Amino acid sequence: MKDILETLRKGRGAKITHLIYQANLSNNSIKPYIDNLIKNGLIKEVHEKDKRFFVLSEKGMEFLQEFDKIKTFSESYGLNEFF
Amino acid sequence: MPPLLSIGDFYGIDSIIEIMTFLVSFIVAYYSNKVYKIMKDPKYRLFSFGFLMIAISFLFKIIVNLTILHRIQIQETNFIITLAHLRNIDLISFFSNVLYKMFSLIGFLFLFFVETRTKSKEKMFLFLYLGILTIFLSIYFDFIFHLTLVIILFILITHFYENYNEFKSSNTFTVLAGFAIILISQIFFIFEATHPLSYLIGELLMLVGFCFLLVNQIKIKNEQKKNQARSSERHLGNIKKRQGR
Repeated sequence: MKDILETLRKGRGAKITHLIYQANLSNNSIKPYIDNLIKNGLIKEVHEKDKRFFVLSEKGMEFLQEFDKIKTFSESYGLNEFF
Repeated sequence: MPPLLSIGDFYGIDSIIEIMTFLVSFIVAYYSNKVYKIMKDPKYRLFSFGFLMIAISFLFKIIVNLTILHRIQIQETNFIITLAHLRNIDLISFFSNVLYKMFSLIGFLFLFFVETRTKSKEKMFLFLYLGILTIFLSIYFDFIFHLTLVIILFILITHFYENYNEFKSSNTFTVLAGFAIILISQIFFIFEATHPLSYLIGELLMLVGFCFLLVNQIKIKNEQKKNQARSSERHLGNIKKRQGR
């Protein structure tokens, strides 16, 4: 899920194919993650000229920032197996 | 018999240092607990508990500093301290001193458990038992307590050094330097009974060590603000670009 959010943070939104490539998941296996992220308000689905894009929401951005903070804290004390 | 520790020795400077170290330990404990609530990883809870114990130990140290503790003559008491030997103020000092050592040692032991990934309850129980024995022994030989902390801190530093080598970041260096200075402070405390100046140097070094840990927390907070500003800028830019299409 972090890979999906990171991809959306780096770019100006992304198509599902780009997310599949970046997260290294199959078309079927990425769907539950996307649904979960939308359900929790971390990403938004945007439709543009018949194309479907995903963008990071404000909540998603805040989530990533908190995640970065935890990562730095964990790294500084060597508690970082999770990351 | 001269007082071992008292406000008179350094005019309460040591108590101000203790308040600072209490606050830093509490901040780290609070943040680690916050991380635990998000990540649900028990190691953050243990880490938080360790720093909380260290924070509480400094509160007892302040009580020790503010009361006068007289040395107990081992020859007179025949290795057994009876309450009759102690006045009320001595009693407060004595028990505060024991509690200070107990909380401090338990705190650093918990940091040791987290850093060495000790999960076995038997091992934890054995270490805690040996820690309690150390505390009882240090009633008679104060240096034993500081020597034990030196050993625990040395092991912690080897882990922080490995961690620094892995990431080479300023945060990992700050933590490594902080704990290394705390270790040196404990070496000075070993000699506090024979050289009163060692006590003051030890206290000052301990303050510097904990200041490094505080700097690390501030850096984490500032890094977040920096990222936040950068991300918000990018996020707004992205929205504008999408609207412009």
